[in-house]
Amino acid sequence: MKKLFAIAWKDAVIRFSTIAELLFFIILPIIFTLIMAGGTPSGEGDPRIRLVVVDQAQTPVSQGILAELEKSTAVWPDVLSLKEAESQFDAREAAVVLILPAGLDLQAIQNGTAEADLRQQPNNLNATVAARAVQTALRRVGSAVNAANMAVKEAEASGTFESETDRQAYFNDALKLAQTAQAETPERVTVIEGATPDPTEYDPRANQSTGQMITWVFIPLFGISALFAYERQQGTLRRILTTPTTKATYLFGTIAGQVAVAMVQMTILVLFGIFVMKLGWGREPLALFVIMLASALAAASIGVTMGTFVKSEGQASGLSTMFGMVMALLGGCWYPLEMFPPVVQNLVKVLPTTWAMEGMLDLVLRGRGLIDILPEAGVLLGFAAVFFTVGVWRFRYE
Amino acid sequence: MLKTFLIGIKDVRLAFRDRAALTFMLAAPFVLTLGLGLVTGRFSGNSGSGISDIPVAIVNLDDGQLGQALVDAFNSPELADLTEPTFPSDPEAARRLIDEDQAAAAVIIPAGFTQSIIPQASDFESAQPEVVQIEVYTNPERPTSAGIIKAIVDEFISRVEEGRVGGEVSILQMLVSGRITPEQAEDAGNAMSQRLQDEPMTNEAAITLNSSTADGQAVEFDALAYIAPGMALMFLMYTVSYGGRSILAERTQGTLPRLLVSPTSSAQILGGKIFGIFLTGAAQMLILIGASSLIFQLKWGDPLGVVVLVLAAVFGATGWGMFITATARTTAQVANVGSAMMLIFGALGGSFVSLEQMPVFVQAISKITPNAWALNGFTTLGLGGTLADLGTPITALLIMGASLFAVSVYLFGKKDLAQK
Repeated sequence: MKKLFAIAWKDAVIRFSTIAELLFFIILPIIFTLIMAGGTPSGEGDPRIRLVVVDQAQTPVSQGILAELEKSTAVWPDVLSLKEAESQFDAREAAVVLILPAGLDLQAIQNGTAEADLRQQPNNLNATVAARAVQTALRRVGSAVNAANMAVKEAEASGTFESETDRQAYFNDALKLAQTAQAETPERVTVIEGATPDPTEYDPRANQSTGQMITWVFIPLFGISALFAYERQQGTLRRILTTPTTKATYLFGTIAGQVAVAMVQMTILVLFGIFVMKLGWGREPLALFVIMLASALAAASIGVTMGTFVKSEGQASGLSTMFGMVMALLGGCWYPLEMFPPVVQNLVKVLPTTWAMEGMLDLVLRGRGLIDILPEAGVLLGFAAVFFTVGVWRFRYE
Repeated sequence: MLKTFLIGIKDVRLAFRDRAALTFMLAAPFVLTLGLGLVTGRFSGNSGSGISDIPVAIVNLDDGQLGQALVDAFNSPELADLTEPTFPSDPEAARRLIDEDQAAAAVIIPAGFTQSIIPQASDFESAQPEVVQIEVYTNPERPTSAGIIKAIVDEFISRVEEGRVGGEVSILQMLVSGRITPEQAEDAGNAMSQRLQDEPMTNEAAITLNSSTADGQAVEFDALAYIAPGMALMFLMYTVSYGGRSILAERTQGTLPRLLVSPTSSAQILGGKIFGIFLTGAAQMLILIGASSLIFQLKWGDPLGVVVLVLAAVFGATGWGMFITATARTTAQVANVGSAMMLIFGALGGSFVSLEQMPVFVQAISKITPNAWALNGFTTLGLGGTLADLGTPITALLIMGASLFAVSVYLFGKKDLAQK
């Protein structure tokens, strides 16, 4: 026990020998969480997509379109001048711009010449969703006119109008009826949110808090490989041969020390999530401890195995950062797995980051408890057992 | 001049012989680009906008044409890439799929839905039909996908409503105007219904929406044309700080004083080191561009524009590398600050999340990074732009590089480069 503590303490001292380590230990994870969470809507803000609208028409029709867009659940209209809108669009600060041109009025709709322009950034999901919302708003505004036109056609099918004035009067009356009917239209769709065992308020920032925590804990734990390479280069590993210390004791001590440091790091980031980002990390402390420990053990064991393959500290440092980033990306730590193609969603189940992410999201996002995260914790401990065994098997002092 | 050139070439050789450095310079951006290509679906054939094949469970209990029309809409070629409908046997099974996170949303069309909108002949004399609502049961863990499904159902309903209001108004207006009597209303309705079945009205919206992408052209933009430069630019920051480290390393290892013993001025040495960093960065960028063009079939756009933009981006990034070196005392400091800056500039510059999705203050801060300007330029080229369209990003990068060089040279002068 004393040996384990001594090895763990020695590793902690080596790791924090420079103040710069704090940069990667706590400062960068917090900066990244804030920046990346800035890219997702907060629970308090308007989660709808900003739709830049240029209203050059200034007619009841264009006002009607704006009113429909205000009611949309997908977009919120931000009315700007053409110059501002074009400037933002060209600078790619606006995903989509709707231009309601001069002359967009009732007469134009009746004549079938009414048009609106939608400019969207290519391959942009927000632009795609906004385009659909705009289509719906235009259809709602134009449908009364379409209905009045249909009424005129039906009337013409059963007899002609005496004059163009009569025809127009008929159209105007039908339009009023259509507008009344439209206003009285009942809601035809009801939205019900799916039931989770303990429903929680969905907050996309929870994804970033969790994802960045895993990223910044996994990378240094993979970096255990650099620790081995460093000791090997310094010749200190060889010296351990002269002491009655087994490989397993040495490796276990190294893992225990780094896992303890990782637990401290995760605790600080969890506290940041609770007190600054107001996330529900604190609901199930025991379950959180279990999944954090299982994740750290899995990552540390992979670091041990990596350490038996790499030759230099520089190589280990580069590979641990690269593997850490790639595993975080593919494990859904940066972008929700929901965004991935279905095949990839299944493929990434071979990564520990995927299981760590799922387990932690179960707690912070889905309000689940210890029983629910046991499968994820079990898989992570499986990773830990396999890689620790490979690490012990392959480990050489020289 | 020759000495400066030789020192630069020597540093390029050293950088490309260092396996650990190559991991960051070439392997990491390449592997991350590959990963991002996988998760965005670039390699599985979708548009790269991020979401495709949204699993949606549909239960149609309606025995009329509208329920079937909604099912047909989800099965239409237009939505073939976007949605992946399944048809559970009953609403409970559909809701269970959502609760078990097997689908993004369930669309449950209840019995009598069509009849609630299109009254049957026998209903003409009765009061307003009872409202029957379609249920969209959403998965709170997939809010984006569920929102898209809701938008599809909303659009369908708006089309249906347009037809319903049109039919009602047509009959009502003929009644009001005295063209038909109340007794003739049912026959007129049936006749209209028959006529619409024989000659269906075009389902066009009254207001035509002209959609266009940036520059008014229907350009297909490869998502990888954003991802690949984003990653390459992020790791370019590693390369410039790696180069900066070599300046301090020469001093601590004692090779710098030896160089100064030779008839080589400190300005020539510093110039050579900077030239080496610039060349290494340019080589890194061009290798990544070449490899992604060959392996991923990625079209970067106007070749001249790409080369000029790469040189400007490397110039701007080298300025930052020099600045870090000039303000640091040890190689370890350059390494740590350089790595941190690589990651922060990557995040701020749009390598992870598109800048357009960032808060305004983050967009403003991003202007200090070469990543944001260069990525803007590469996106312009990916959209079909040319060198002529790159005036702003290239000017910004050159000003950034020149300013940082001026400050760095001043700081180097104060530190006395030759001092050990």
